Amino acid sequence: MSKRKRFPVLALIIVILGCLMVLVPVYWMIITSFKEAPETFSNPPTLWPTKFTLDAYKKVMDVYSFGSFFGNSLIVVVLSTLLTILVSTMAGFGASRFKFKGKGAFLGFVLVTQMFPSVIMLIPYFRILRLYGLINTHLGLMIVYISFQVPLCTWLMYSYFETIPKDLDAAAAIDGLNQWGIFRKIALPLSLPGLASTSIYAFINSWNEFQFAMVLTTTDDMKTVSVGLGQMIDDTMINWNDMMAASILASIPLILVFLFCQNLFFSGLTAGGVKQ
Amino acid sequence: MAKDRKMIRHRGDLFQSRAGYAFISPAFLVLVLMVVYPLIYGIVISFFDTNLVNKFDFVGLKYYGRLIKDTSFYASLGRTVMFTFFTVLGRTILAVLFANILVMDNLPYKKAFRAILVLPWFFPDVVVGMLWRWLYNANYGLFNFILRSLGIIDGPIEWLSNTDTVMWAVILVSIWKGFPFMMVMLLAALQTISKDLYEAAELDGCGVVQRFLHVTLPGIMPVLSTTLMLEIMWCFKHFTLIWNLTKGGPVDATRVVSIDIYRTGFDYMRFGESSTRAVFVFIIIIILTLIQKKMKRSDS
Repeated sequence: MSKRKRFPVLALIIVILGCLMVLVPVYWMIITSFKEAPETFSNPPTLWPTKFTLDAYKKVMDVYSFGSFFGNSLIVVVLSTLLTILVSTMAGFGASRFKFKGKGAFLGFVLVTQMFPSVIMLIPYFRILRLYGLINTHLGLMIVYISFQVPLCTWLMYSYFETIPKDLDAAAAIDGLNQWGIFRKIALPLSLPGLASTSIYAFINSWNEFQFAMVLTTTDDMKTVSVGLGQMIDDTMINWNDMMAASILASIPLILVFLFCQNLFFSGLTAGGVKQ
Repeated sequence: MAKDRKMIRHRGDLFQSRAGYAFISPAFLVLVLMVVYPLIYGIVISFFDTNLVNKFDFVGLKYYGRLIKDTSFYASLGRTVMFTFFTVLGRTILAVLFANILVMDNLPYKKAFRAILVLPWFFPDVVVGMLWRWLYNANYGLFNFILRSLGIIDGPIEWLSNTDTVMWAVILVSIWKGFPFMMVMLLAALQTISKDLYEAAELDGCGVVQRFLHVTLPGIMPVLSTTLMLEIMWCFKHFTLIWNLTKGGPVDATRVVSIDIYRTGFDYMRFGESSTRAVFVFIIIIILTLIQKKMKRSDS
């Protein structure tokens, strides 16, 4: 595999076909969102809008109250991600740096929870949240998302802390720092890349969540983006330009992650997986 | 000095044991209160005939007995296996193919290609469902338009309303959405394989296929097997994409277990039976995991 060799043409063709397979649907989504409603029902379909308009976006915000869905998603997802990261980072640090009885059992249990099909908790949560008056509230949904994300994020942070040399802690202990000080002043700054990719992971997962949000929210003013988008299809007269505009709006946070943190995200995610 | 440090560390360990509990206690509380408690509650509900409001009649193992004889449940299990098998197969083929190309040194525009190929992973499941519903639209969708322009089909096909095509249409979307994750994992694994191994294999006269079988495959095997297991478990309990494409229809053609559990509970209000089904799926996943553990152990 010397660098002088030309790249095999067949491989290049395969990659280009792969990219088309990805880009054509995405292109279709984007141009549909800029069309006027009647144009979406033209046969054959137009591959560029004859009249370029933002009407669909306006309608999605005004008629389908996407602003409110977006606000709900942001509140629930951002707060639950922050709490998850706080809890998981502490647990990851604790499990990585200290010896204590039951540590193996704790880490094993963290992994085992990954096997639970989440649907088994749908009915219990539906009942428990109603019992405590938390159904159809931001807090109720946050509790559910924290319970989903804490196990995996704990594991990811534990793996990350394991890659940071422990000598520094000992040196800091000699300098008179207590455990909390070591955590805050030494370990936390060193774990920032792992922390970032773990947060992104939790954020993406919670932003994507649909089934629990659908069951645990009942009124439009509490629904998240994914539920709001999902229920648009039940509208008797759906327009596909509105639908695609809503889809693009719903994707914006994840597309921002894609544009700005892609490398960080993937390097963090694969670091743990590849090493084992 | 070295002795000092050792002593401090040793003393530290003793002192640390309480600190360790302090650090993990918030996560431990979350696990017990927000994971274990609902889980056990779910198992308890599976022994009751309940509407979750005012009726809680203990029925013991009645629903389990009924479930074992329920052919429609086995049908939905069969659909789940089919969905899982072909989705994971398709994702694996695409992921192996693209990862092996993207890892080549002399590929032009490598970063751009990689960025485009991971893109589907960054769209929410609901968005992917809606987008493909529109693409599959019989009269105005792009999918039929392209197939007709290429002369592959004559008239419009209702991909999602036809019981013969719907499962394949859903699987195709699921492959499209999910192959990037595996591709990224494999790409990272491929980068750890030494180039010398390839050169040695080439000097020994190995062709492309032999190099793949004897160098690439063993090199990515640990990551591949872990990722495969994750993918299988994810597909087995997957709900969102299928629900947003078909809601399990037409006439139950894509009613996989996750949709079956949801409908039994929230459409028919038979929460006890719904929980029974969820517990059953839980048991299946446990068995799958045990099998994988055993296989991994016998490997090493």
